[in-house]
Amino acid sequence: MTQPQIPNTQKCIAVLWPSFLVAIVATGLFFSAFDPADLYPFGDDTEVSRLGVYSIGFLFFWLVSTISGIGTLYFAITNCMRQDPEHREH
Amino acid sequence: MAAADQKTPATPGNADEQVEKSLYAKAEKIYPREVHGLFARLRVLGVFSLLGIYYITPWLRWDGHQALLLDLPARKFHIFFITLWPQDFIYLAALLIIAGLTLFFVTAIAGRIWCGYACPQTVWTEAFLWIERKVEGDRSRQRKLDAQPMNARKFRIKATKHVLWLAFAGWTGFTFVGYFTPIIELGQRLVMFELGPWETFWVIFYGFATYGNAGFMREQVCKYMCPYARFQSAMFDKDTLIVSYIPERGEPRGSRRRSDDPALLGLGDCIDCTLCVQVCPTGIDIRNGLQYECIACSACIDACDDVMEKMGYEKGLIKYTTENAMHGSTSHIIRPRVVIYALILLGIMSLFAWTFSQRLPLGLDVIRDRNQLYRETNEGLIENVYILKILNMDDVAHRYTLDVRGVTGMKLNMDVPEIRVASGDVLELPVRLQVDEGELEVRSTEIQFTLVADDNATLTATETARFLGPR
Repeated sequence: MTQPQIPNTQKCIAVLWPSFLVAIVATGLFFSAFDPADLYPFGDDTEVSRLGVYSIGFLFFWLVSTISGIGTLYFAITNCMRQDPEHREH
Repeated sequence: MAAADQKTPATPGNADEQVEKSLYAKAEKIYPREVHGLFARLRVLGVFSLLGIYYITPWLRWDGHQALLLDLPARKFHIFFITLWPQDFIYLAALLIIAGLTLFFVTAIAGRIWCGYACPQTVWTEAFLWIERKVEGDRSRQRKLDAQPMNARKFRIKATKHVLWLAFAGWTGFTFVGYFTPIIELGQRLVMFELGPWETFWVIFYGFATYGNAGFMREQVCKYMCPYARFQSAMFDKDTLIVSYIPERGEPRGSRRRSDDPALLGLGDCIDCTLCVQVCPTGIDIRNGLQYECIACSACIDACDDVMEKMGYEKGLIKYTTENAMHGSTSHIIRPRVVIYALILLGIMSLFAWTFSQRLPLGLDVIRDRNQLYRETNEGLIENVYILKILNMDDVAHRYTLDVRGVTGMKLNMDVPEIRVASGDVLELPVRLQVDEGELEVRSTEIQFTLVADDNATLTATETARFLGPR
């Protein structure tokens, strides 16, 4: 069986969507344990509100899990191609 | 789970390959035909009540505050008469687990009724489809319009639709943010154009997600993004309610006049009008058997019942049934799977209710002063210093009495005359304990701090610590 070509839109969904869900969970867990007001970089000299810190935290978690998702996708695809004789390069 | 196609009995491998191909195919726009009937009315009822709950809830008041406010900036969640703090995150997690198990339980009995009637994706798509129909007209008009090259009329119609969609989506985004920050103040800031940057960001983000998911992605969310759609079949068995076409009755399908006798023509009851395909929001043919795309919305049941009535045939060629009922056996609602799901659900719910009723709105943490293990006072006593963190999670302020025991003759010294903590506040209280060296038998003695609210003896928190001495 030949490997189906995954459309790029679906690749994006496959990476961005699960990492979005993971980021929600991570943000919830992290900020229920740490109050942004106690966190060092945003301590007292900057003007970032709590909502801002939550948002930056969420976007950061999303970014990190997206990177991990891209890695998974990359390794999964190259692995499939290696197993598939049609894609083997000599 | 895919039942065999009537015309081309598919081998399992074949069916899997087809599913795989469809999963990787470029999606084509589906124009679901409008449908009327019992289940369509039920869904409209669901849409109205659920959207109503969503848009109205943040405006409700309770006891001087927003009734449901997950106040992220203030780090406390108001849920009617309950106030939860970050320490109570576990209850939120437990609620999510209960919601998940309830979904399993309902799925085992009634299949994907969540998908068809209550899922936000279905509910908002339904609302967006309604707007689309009001602006662009019915299915055939929409198709014709999309086939046309761009012209002034098409542009006007399309622009109207997108403006309405965006307005609706924007209001949805605003309401969403209103669950996390007081909505009345948010509304005031919105009309004054004074929204904070992050509030603006989240209104746009959520609004855009609604616009994209309900306006464009639609059934693709169910097919490609929904985890539940992928694993729901694990909860299915032969007694689970499914939407199914009855091939024994319908086949062989074929068109005929109303006056024709199908028996003479050698036909089944299906007149092959394809209305069941046209009304399907996921674009499948239910006559090919149960498919993973089917969200059990039962639009095809309504459409087919209507046709059967017009033809003078018995309704229910497509109907809610179970695999067992289709094969002539009896269906059982109560069966091991359902009982086990119910027991687990009941167990977790009672555990949750019990722990929640035992929840103490008082937190006490004892931290030893790390600078020195102990010191000797001028009077020759051994002194240890602790920082007490007292968290009052109650809705009212309390005055507390602190007591410590573990060593005879221990003296408790604080810098404040009384311990008073306002609602939602954390008090950091330095405490010095002094003992006579002769009372210490070992280097490290276990001691106990007990904090009791003066007006309510059930508000008691106990925390152990260690008292260090020279021996």
